[in-house]
Amino acid sequence: MKTCLVGSYPKIPAGSGPSVRTAIQRFEAGDISPRALHETYRDVTRRVLALAEAHAVDLTTDGQIRWNDLMDPLTRDVDNFRAAGLLRLFDNNFYYRHPVITGRLQFQGGTLAYWAREAVSLTSVPVMVALPGPYTVLALAEDQSYHHRDRLLADIVEVLRLEAESLVNTGVREVQWDEPGLATHSATPSLEEVASVYGDLTQNPPVPMSVALYWGSSSPWLRAFEGLTLNRLSVDVVHEPPLLRYFAEHGAPYPVGFGVLNAREVRLESVDELTRQLEPVIRRLGEDAVLVHPNSGLELLPPDRAEAKVALLGQLKVTLSGSPHSERGGN
Amino acid sequence: MMHKTLRTTSVGSFPKPESLQRMRVRYRRGDVSYEELKAAEREATERVIRLQERLGYDLLVHGEMERGDMVAYFAEHWQGFSESLPVRSYGNRYYRKPIVEGPVQGNPGLTVESWKLAQSFTQQPVKGMLTGPYTICDWSFNVHYPDRRALVLDLARVVHEEAKALEEAGAKFIQIDEPAISTRPEEIDLAIEAMGIVTEGLTAHTISHVCYGRFDLIYPALLDLPVTQLDLEAANGHFALLELLSRYPWPQDKELALGVVDVHSHRVESVDEVKAGIRRALELIPPERLYVDPDCGLKTRTWEEAEAKLTVIAEAVQQLRDEEGLS
Ligand SMILES: [Zn+2]
Repeated sequence: MKTCLVGSYPKIPAGSGPSVRTAIQRFEAGDISPRALHETYRDVTRRVLALAEAHAVDLTTDGQIRWNDLMDPLTRDVDNFRAAGLLRLFDNNFYYRHPVITGRLQFQGGTLAYWAREAVSLTSVPVMVALPGPYTVLALAEDQSYHHRDRLLADIVEVLRLEAESLVNTGVREVQWDEPGLATHSATPSLEEVASVYGDLTQNPPVPMSVALYWGSSSPWLRAFEGLTLNRLSVDVVHEPPLLRYFAEHGAPYPVGFGVLNAREVRLESVDELTRQLEPVIRRLGEDAVLVHPNSGLELLPPDRAEAKVALLGQLKVTLSGSPHSERGGN
Repeated sequence: MMHKTLRTTSVGSFPKPESLQRMRVRYRRGDVSYEELKAAEREATERVIRLQERLGYDLLVHGEMERGDMVAYFAEHWQGFSESLPVRSYGNRYYRKPIVEGPVQGNPGLTVESWKLAQSFTQQPVKGMLTGPYTICDWSFNVHYPDRRALVLDLARVVHEEAKALEEAGAKFIQIDEPAISTRPEEIDLAIEAMGIVTEGLTAHTISHVCYGRFDLIYPALLDLPVTQLDLEAANGHFALLELLSRYPWPQDKELALGVVDVHSHRVESVDEVKAGIRRALELIPPERLYVDPDCGLKTRTWEEAEAKLTVIAEAVQQLRDEEGLS
């Protein structure tokens, strides 16, 4: 099996070391220069990537260290998609600047590709980018312009597709579409519509694409993704433990990512128990088609606890695959 | 004296004056004594009270000068919690999310001293300020309890003891904040049950502040929260809350405190837009059961911004009183 880190990561250190928090405070107080702030972001990104490397993670994001929240790159790269007032991000005590759609969406690009190139240059671990999928964008944005859901959705899909295309030649290995909007049932489209929207988004992908369902139930949406060419479909086992048995019995048409580590609770899972739970699904899907990860980004944990979860992922890999580096040969 | 109609209040926290912020940092480093810190808090509390009095506010808050975070403060003083490294809540703001590692136990009377101090500065009533069990659970990690329900109900008993202590000390208004209550609509019944434990047998006026919500998902169930007054944010959502409230008759036995300025924006609202919001609310709730206040605690604003926003509310209310002939 393979391991991955699927989203955000704390921007402050568990011990000493560069801290985005301190750098922003000092920058705002006029004590450090724009260059020093820029370099802190890069140093913290490098620390996250080094942690992934140290624990033999097979695929990782850059920890979204430069991001304010999941919507951030889109609000920078898309015109008429503006960061506005703070709203709670689903059921977390975390607040995002909700995007207000003030006109027809226009893709300008640039920021995400720059960030992605930087991350790729800092590590030998394969880097992916996680972006909000169309239903999560729809659920989290406030439409003040279209007043027509389907037309808005179609433009969102096209803009997201352009954002993915902007990552060609950056070295990014995969684009993951995050859909907590579906898993939490904040958006409730028909399965047919999800299949068709994702068909448009993922056909002939410019970069391999995956989907991540988290913070709610994944099972109602599985059928919608069945006919698509996905690099991975990630599901939230923390919220729905029976998913392991389901995939062990039914198999899957694509590699499956199992979010088995709770990214929102400090309690550390037992390696023995996870090993026992994962073995049947690895037997059924095959070593290469099982990925294991926290159910979402780790930034909702204090940095020491986030680090402990990454270490746990490393231990799990050793236990399940024998050697921590056994899967890295092809990279 | 409180007005009889269209009263003004505040939600809870005030910005800490810079002198107090510096003192808190020095105290943490061990550079100043506990007494020096308390003296700085006392001075800041008096300043908070004087500002509200000067602006003619009816129901005052003590400003929470002794608290950092509304959940961490209780976790630090109660048993069963340990402190974590900071977790980001938005932008560059972080909080220490407590970890429940054992059975929770209170420290009844913890909040009485700061309430008494604030009340000693004024004849106007000052609210006793507590954080509700549902929110303390939601904003903590839980390693000890088997599930959220067990933790919430245990916390409810602890918060109840603290509310009793405030009441016995003479507090006539006790606020139990539940900003997290709209987070999981499927748990609204648990939050209501817990609040029932907190307010059971209290004779004081009880208030609960709720914010950041998809109010639509928990309405009208929210009206069953067993408190006298609900304090809800409206300005943040451009008063869309009022449209939701208009779908159901406002209960006879409940008061509403309506947030009419956004606490997360540097922009100071105009008197006219605040008046327009209050006028819409007056169509739904009679003035004797309507309070107005900022959307939420003011601690994220500068002192100047907080003062400016409170001044706008006071002016808007004064003009409305004159125009509508309210006493
Ligand atoms: Zn609030």
